[in-house]
Amino acid sequence: MHIPDGYLSPATCATLYTGVVPFWWGALRRVRRGLHTQMVPLLSVFAAFSFIIMMFNLPLPGGTTGHAVGVGIAAIVLGPWASILAISVALMIQAIFFGDGGITAIGANCFNMGVIGSLVAYTTYELISRDAPVESPRRVWAAGLAGYLAINFSALAAAIELGIQPQLYRDATGAALYAPYPLSIAIPAMMAGHLTVAGIAETVVSAGVVAYLQKSQPSLLRGAAGGATTKPLWLVLMILAILTPFGVLAMGSAWGEWSAGDFLHPETRRQIAAASGGNELPAQVPAGLQRLARLWTAPLRYSSQVPAAIVGMVLIIGACWCIVLLARRIRVRRNMSFVERTLTSLMRASEYAASAEHVTESRGLFQKIDPRVKVAGLLLLIVAVAAARELRVIGGIFLFALAMALLSGISLRKLAAWVWMPVLLFTGLIAAPAILVTGPRSAAFLVGRAETAATLVGLLVLTTPWAWVLKSLRSLRCPAVFVAILGMTYRYIFEIMRTALDMLEARRSRTVGTLTPLESRRLAASTVGVLLNKSFQLSGDVHLAMQSRGFRGEIHVLSEFRARTVDWCWLGLFVALAGGALWWGS
Amino acid sequence: MVGIVSQAFVFEVRNVTYRYESVAALDGISLSIERGKRIALLGANGSGKSTLLRLLNALHFPESGGIAFNGQPLARDAFDQDAFAFAFRSRVGLVFQSPEVQLFNPTVFDEVAFAPLHLGWPRTRIEAAVAEILGKMEIAHLRDRPPHRLSGGEKKRVALASVLVMNPEVLLLDEPTAGLDPRSESQIIDMLMSWGGDGRTVITTTHDLGLVEDIADYCFVLQAGKVAAEGLPGEVLRDVALLERANLIHAHRHRHASGVIHSHPHTHPHRHD
Repeated sequence: MHIPDGYLSPATCATLYTGVVPFWWGALRRVRRGLHTQMVPLLSVFAAFSFIIMMFNLPLPGGTTGHAVGVGIAAIVLGPWASILAISVALMIQAIFFGDGGITAIGANCFNMGVIGSLVAYTTYELISRDAPVESPRRVWAAGLAGYLAINFSALAAAIELGIQPQLYRDATGAALYAPYPLSIAIPAMMAGHLTVAGIAETVVSAGVVAYLQKSQPSLLRGAAGGATTKPLWLVLMILAILTPFGVLAMGSAWGEWSAGDFLHPETRRQIAAASGGNELPAQVPAGLQRLARLWTAPLRYSSQVPAAIVGMVLIIGACWCIVLLARRIRVRRNMSFVERTLTSLMRASEYAASAEHVTESRGLFQKIDPRVKVAGLLLLIVAVAAARELRVIGGIFLFALAMALLSGISLRKLAAWVWMPVLLFTGLIAAPAILVTGPRSAAFLVGRAETAATLVGLLVLTTPWAWVLKSLRSLRCPAVFVAILGMTYRYIFEIMRTALDMLEARRSRTVGTLTPLESRRLAASTVGVLLNKSFQLSGDVHLAMQSRGFRGEIHVLSEFRARTVDWCWLGLFVALAGGALWWGS
Repeated sequence: MVGIVSQAFVFEVRNVTYRYESVAALDGISLSIERGKRIALLGANGSGKSTLLRLLNALHFPESGGIAFNGQPLARDAFDQDAFAFAFRSRVGLVFQSPEVQLFNPTVFDEVAFAPLHLGWPRTRIEAAVAEILGKMEIAHLRDRPPHRLSGGEKKRVALASVLVMNPEVLLLDEPTAGLDPRSESQIIDMLMSWGGDGRTVITTTHDLGLVEDIADYCFVLQAGKVAAEGLPGEVLRDVALLERANLIHAHRHRHASGVIHSHPHTHPHRHD
């Protein structure tokens, strides 16, 4: 059920990534609620459990293999949300480090096994065992059924995703570009194994662990993981890890997880045909499949499974800690009402601006240069970065910008927080599909260019008061109206921000307790309405104030710079750098 | 600088009506403002003082009635001609009540240079004038600061400087001390007192009766868009019935040691005869 790279088209992969991200986000938000309890170790235990249980390959009819996922028991103990995270962590580590499941298909696999599996298992278990006491046998049956249904719904989803590929993506000759078997073959072939052996394995695992927990750690089944210890669970895991070599109960790969080589080898072709109701694979490896399959080579193999299981567990614990850190960062927002959140971000924005203005006024290398020289020189460098076709050239300019920033008193922390992270988040979103379509090299160019250009702009803005940037634009023949609008926008953002702050603080001082979502929305709408109204009024009054002092429709800006020899030297340096970069880079 | 004009009145307002949407702000108001005098326009909130200042500054034009500046009518058409508009703008300056409205430039220097620059002064004269007024207002050290990072008192001084730099013949001030702390307030008043004279006219709106005798030689009391009374500050401030009618004072109620509750109008007549 681990769909590899190349079996799903980039569009399908992107869709399923999009489908799973809201669940990850929701899960992170919910998981932090449990952070004070044992959620961290529990999350690690169940991610590791799922990782190891998936290494127990069981023979299936038709010569392929199948495995349990562990999603049933994860959903029962952790609840559906943390379970989504646990299973996703296991799947990501398998895909990235062990090549089990594709990088492009992480979204799909997490959606099938993590999201669908967790939700089905949790719903089933809750429906059946709702009022049952913790030690009731009904809980064991409920767990078994939950596991069985969860793995089968996951398998069905995977089969559908694979089966629609040949209908949707074909080349000119009609040959499938990605997964070759249509729904009519994929669904029976996939379900045959999961309805029988794998389904039974998941049933046994879920029911067995619930029965075990009823005796050893009943508190884990009460939902409140408060007093429970995870020590015995870790012990069980270690034993399972050592048993993994015996977990390879069957050779041969799972249905839908063949490598490109399996398409060409006569023996594997025969096995695959047998598992697919006698339908032969196409004679050629599908073109799209071959291209995408080469995308990622995992650094580790399952070949010796005990170390693999141990390495996997270590990686999982690390990943779970990262999730906890992430969830802690989200916490700040979660507990706050709309008012608090908006207040915080407004405060942060004005702190940011004050801090940026402070840097521009401090002494440093770049602060001393004539702003016109800076604007022109850095623009030239940005052009050079945009035109460069060598990563080394982009890297060189980046290092130059970095050195200049450090010499100008801009700390790495500020650069990271204000420039690099936001740009990375933004271009990363664009670059992710680019990796799929055109390969990692073009994505590296995209991110490299964006980060370097942003660092150069950051260098300018952080070492030059905004008013001077505007005036330099003016003296470089930028239209005065444009410059004036930029200036006033910056000026009045602070005014409107202060109005918003005042309004929200006034609101907070009269509010006790939290607002309902409806009240929050109403408050947000009315605040925006009032702000808009005030802004209109302000703009009308400012226009009058301008008129009163002689404004007749045409704006003038007074430039008051005098370039010194040093500034000309800097301009020469910028031109030389940009020229060199253009020459080397193209 | 100041043109010597024979008329005794800088502004003559005749039967002026002006409304915002459908609400009348000025309702057939008439008044004449004598040259070289310091005038106070007194009135409660909504009495039409600010609107009158904007009309005197030719930012709005009356719906009916007329306003004459130095005997010349202020009409919309007249402002289509650059020569007349620039001449008027450089002779009449208005300081808005809110510095946020007044200060729209990226730095203090740009703010103060805005009017001369847009009135077409040569560059060297602008720089000299800006430097001089910044020094006079004691804000030279704020020259390159952005206005949004100034304190309330500093903002007010920059706003004043941005108008005074033109050395206008008539200065219109809308609530110049509103929202200032006592020290900033007294500084602003000192500056205004030293600025008058030389045939220059200062028109100040306020509802702070304590200020009136310091800043005005003559005052008008506005009520519901009309002149309710006018006269010397001393006379107007003594007319308690009038002030109460115009919502400029309120009854002050307090209990004496004898237990008798006593009520009288709350005024601050700073007379030292």
